[in-house]
Amino acid sequence: MTTTKNFEIFSRIQPNEYIGRFLDQNIRPDGRLLDQFRPTFVTAGTVATANASAMVRLGGTTVVCGIKAEVCEPKVDTPDQGYLVPNVELSPMCSSQFRPGPPSAKAQAVSEFIHQLLKKSNVVPLESLCIESGKAVWVLYADIVCLNYDGNIIDASLLALVTALKNLSLPKAEVSPLLAVEADPSETVQPFLLTNFPVASTFCIFNQPNVLIADPNDTEESLAKETVTVVMDTNGEICRVYKNGGTTVGSDVLRACFGHCKKRTQQIKQVIEDALNQ
Amino acid sequence: MSRVELLTPEGLRVDGRRANELRKITAKTSVFSQSDGSAYIEQGNTKCLAAVYGPREVRHRMQALADRAIINVEFNVAPFSTSERKKRSKNDKRSLEVATFIRQTFEPVILTSQFPRSQIDIYLQIFQHDGGLLQSCINAATLALIDAGIPMLDYVCACSAGCIDKVPVLDLNNLEESADTPELTVAILPRTGKVNLLEMESRLHIEKLASVTELATEGCMQIHKILDDVVRKNTQHLKDRLTS
Repeated sequence: MTTTKNFEIFSRIQPNEYIGRFLDQNIRPDGRLLDQFRPTFVTAGTVATANASAMVRLGGTTVVCGIKAEVCEPKVDTPDQGYLVPNVELSPMCSSQFRPGPPSAKAQAVSEFIHQLLKKSNVVPLESLCIESGKAVWVLYADIVCLNYDGNIIDASLLALVTALKNLSLPKAEVSPLLAVEADPSETVQPFLLTNFPVASTFCIFNQPNVLIADPNDTEESLAKETVTVVMDTNGEICRVYKNGGTTVGSDVLRACFGHCKKRTQQIKQVIEDALNQ
Repeated sequence: MSRVELLTPEGLRVDGRRANELRKITAKTSVFSQSDGSAYIEQGNTKCLAAVYGPREVRHRMQALADRAIINVEFNVAPFSTSERKKRSKNDKRSLEVATFIRQTFEPVILTSQFPRSQIDIYLQIFQHDGGLLQSCINAATLALIDAGIPMLDYVCACSAGCIDKVPVLDLNNLEESADTPELTVAILPRTGKVNLLEMESRLHIEKLASVTELATEGCMQIHKILDDVVRKNTQHLKDRLTS
């Protein structure tokens, strides 16, 4: 006679076997289908002290993104460009796998992923952050704090950041003759409309059985052979593919990834629009 | 230089409250799945989150105590929580001080002797800073510890109070705190009324001390009622789910 206790013990001592039994039946321990993403909830403007903010719940993974704008001098070789500085914080609060102390390798990797993605895909036109060429530009500090870690931090973080950016309005600023920057908080402008934005979709690859699952949770992520992330923008163009070499797959698997990613991007576009319209 | 009038002659403060009124408090427990206990408190515009892990194995073996659990508190203020962005590192003195206060507040209240050689971690995160950080953290930590099922002697309810123009006022917000108002935070165990923590960094005339402390204690009792309601509602909900 099997009781709940037996399943729990089995999942602890033989986690690979346990998840394998589900994947053989084309289903996952939490009841999802292999290509099903978890319910995604987005709320914009949750933090009043930030210039823009958003909170995202992707299944259990919860992140909050707050954007604060400050003024500084632009770089000499790019006098018209402002800065966008994303920073993802994975503290011991969100999961017991993170140790207290300086940012872990994972947090730094995710921060850098998002930073490079936004820079290379040119989704955020940094010229729109210019106050006066060569003298003053806006720097947007985007702090993404993870509150509860249940896998797939990249999708959730990027979604929170994009929602916050779409919601961003900065005070109208100009450089006075005394070279001080005066900002008028009563008059705000939206620096960019971001009609075209990137959406990330993360997948995990298992070897036994040979399956691809979408939106892994924490357990699935730790048991998978590899995690693949595909970033697509709302125009249908692929911005980034990240497959870091844990295992080899056929090109049909990658094509399946792109297909799921396309569907997911459209889905997320609708979710963001609903969140901003509220 | 014009000074904002913190208390009008009619007795109204900047946010429309009376001198002895608490801000609106909403509290939720069990908000996260990874931690053993979690709570989210909104007190006016201050938003605070607490996550409790434990009792679990001690991270550094050398620190383990043979007869009880050690309590570890981490206090973190998000960079976007204040009107001016301030990236405070977790190890800056102010954060460590607040973390120490909270740890010392809970050490005598949690029944640590039931869990020798283990560690209870309390993580606090502030999302929006509108004054009353220490009190929100203590209240959130209490709820999170109850949610985690860690045995305690009693709730620990905290409230801040101050003195504006010689009138004792309850629950100061950021504007009032930064305007050199004498401010006092008190944490009590509501059942006995015993004082657990009393913290004041500003100057207050000794004759006013009693009335301000009394006002803060009354505020604590009000907060206790609110926190208790939340815990009871949650437990009722669990009970209904179990028996249905």
